[in-house]
Amino acid sequence: MENELFMNAGASSHPPVMTSPSSSSAMHNWVSMETQSVDPSLGCNLFWEKSTEQSIFHSALSSLVSSPTPSNSNFSGGGVGGENLMIRELIGKLGNIGDIYGTLASNGNVSGSCYATPMSSPTPGRMMVTKTTTPITEFSGDPGFAERAARFSCFGSRSFNGRTNSPFPINEQPVATNEKMSRISSSPALKPLVSRVPTGESSGEFSRKRKAKSKQNSPSTVSPSKEIEEKEDSDPKRCKKSEENGDKTKSIDPYKDYIHVRARRGQATDSHSLAERVRREKISERMKLLQDLVPGCNKVTGKALMLDEIINYVQSLQRQVEFLSMKLSSVNTRLDFNMDALLSKDIFPSSNNLMHHQQVLQLDSSAPTLLGDHHKNNLQLNPDISSNNIINHLETSETRSFISHLPTLAHFTDSISQYSIFSEDDLTSIIHMGFAQNRLHELNHGSSNQVPSHMKAEL
Amino acid sequence: MASADKLINTDVPEKDVFALHFLQSLSNLRTQSPLNSPNKSIDRVRKIKKAAYVSMARAAGGTSRLWSRALLRRAAKDDNKSVRFSRRKRKVTWKISSKRKRSNQRAPVVEEAAERLRNLVPGGGGMETSKLMEETAHYIKCLSMQVKVMQCLVDGLSQK
Repeated sequence: MENELFMNAGASSHPPVMTSPSSSSAMHNWVSMETQSVDPSLGCNLFWEKSTEQSIFHSALSSLVSSPTPSNSNFSGGGVGGENLMIRELIGKLGNIGDIYGTLASNGNVSGSCYATPMSSPTPGRMMVTKTTTPITEFSGDPGFAERAARFSCFGSRSFNGRTNSPFPINEQPVATNEKMSRISSSPALKPLVSRVPTGESSGEFSRKRKAKSKQNSPSTVSPSKEIEEKEDSDPKRCKKSEENGDKTKSIDPYKDYIHVRARRGQATDSHSLAERVRREKISERMKLLQDLVPGCNKVTGKALMLDEIINYVQSLQRQVEFLSMKLSSVNTRLDFNMDALLSKDIFPSSNNLMHHQQVLQLDSSAPTLLGDHHKNNLQLNPDISSNNIINHLETSETRSFISHLPTLAHFTDSISQYSIFSEDDLTSIIHMGFAQNRLHELNHGSSNQVPSHMKAEL
Repeated sequence: MASADKLINTDVPEKDVFALHFLQSLSNLRTQSPLNSPNKSIDRVRKIKKAAYVSMARAAGGTSRLWSRALLRRAAKDDNKSVRFSRRKRKVTWKISSKRKRSNQRAPVVEEAAERLRNLVPGGGGMETSKLMEETAHYIKCLSMQVKVMQCLVDGLSQK
């Protein structure tokens, strides 16, 4: 197996090395198909493309993929020892890079059999499948790790762990490194994805490795699973801890859905207090979130005062809603009596006088026609409406249908859109439609019954 | 900021969604009782306020948020209607009482403030403190959005 690796490593070519036609097509497929995946895998893609110059890497990886069954038997069995664990971990990490190996597997590649189980479906949902079926492949793809693996290219090495701590000095791909760094900066939230390691590993070395990786922050393929959320949830704590307290880390059990917390130096190891600490950190994290929301909370320090501020703010908002609803009701009573006046005068704070009069005239002249005829038959949808802001916001067909009842409204709304007072104009135009429709209701109950029922049904 | 924070999602739809929902509910109100025309202004105010809250709850994500669900249920109960929820795993409310037994270890300051918050935020009674704060954040965002919408409405309508 190792001989094969080295032999393959010797071959070099500018496009990624293809040790077998199936893998070559797969590689091409992969390179071309990485369009819709999330950013990290796009980053992977970039990384791959950049590193085509580095043929060794590619050849080694492809050879890893095409490595025959002996390795498979190791993987399919339950971990025999640390060596197998490392191998599994390695392959798992490689396996997740950009779904390349999935395509390889689907192409019937022999080595793909080790990936066959996790990567059976060519959809992005595959990532979910990997996570649930095999814990091995839960490692998010880590090109840096793969590269290191390629370099060392010795699966049997037990000292693999020790060699993984210095990725960058070994790295002779400055371009690729830069890629990684740029990707790092763009996806800080993906730190924890690299922290998933089987708990069987020696914690000390792995804490180092994890930290090194977290520093690299290699963007790995993100799968929107709950487990990742959990990991990310624990990540700020983990990173905080690793910064504060050296070697103590939190390891996340890939087999179960709960978070393992490690005690910090010099603190109680009572399970209760640990859980307590987690809970407190959660709460403080959310408090920070709230602090951003509530205006004027930056100066206040301390949980108690902050919470008081928050409570006051919520109360004030609720009081405001009540006050505004009172105001609205008083305004509404006026509206009942004086619809026309409102429609013509109130709604255009910035409109031209000339325009004003035109619109008023239009409305008055069209009113009798609206009243007299059945709405739906006679009125045509004004094409200008579609360009209006409001239509973009009102996505329901019902509202569009009653917009179509009021062609004159289009003129209003066109003029409104000219005046770029965004919120008020849109809202007032919406009010227009609401009130105009209501007016039609009051005057023409028979035919208008359908429209409110449409709206109610929609609601 | 909150939207960039992938851990806790407190995204809220745009103002227009709120405006749309609110106006629809207002026009519904109008069609409901054009003939009755309740004379007492208090009733009108109450109705409008209720419409405001319900439309806010709908605009903010319907039944996907705990507070909006509680709000809608409360409103529906008043009207003797029933609200249809999608099947979701429901947290059992007595979780709180079992955790409160150990309240001496849970920063009493925080817990006391959390109590007050629970009274304010709809649906807060069944939530753990951390969950409560998430809901509060979302609730605050939605409330402020609703207030803006209503303010614009009032301004637009009261100009002469």
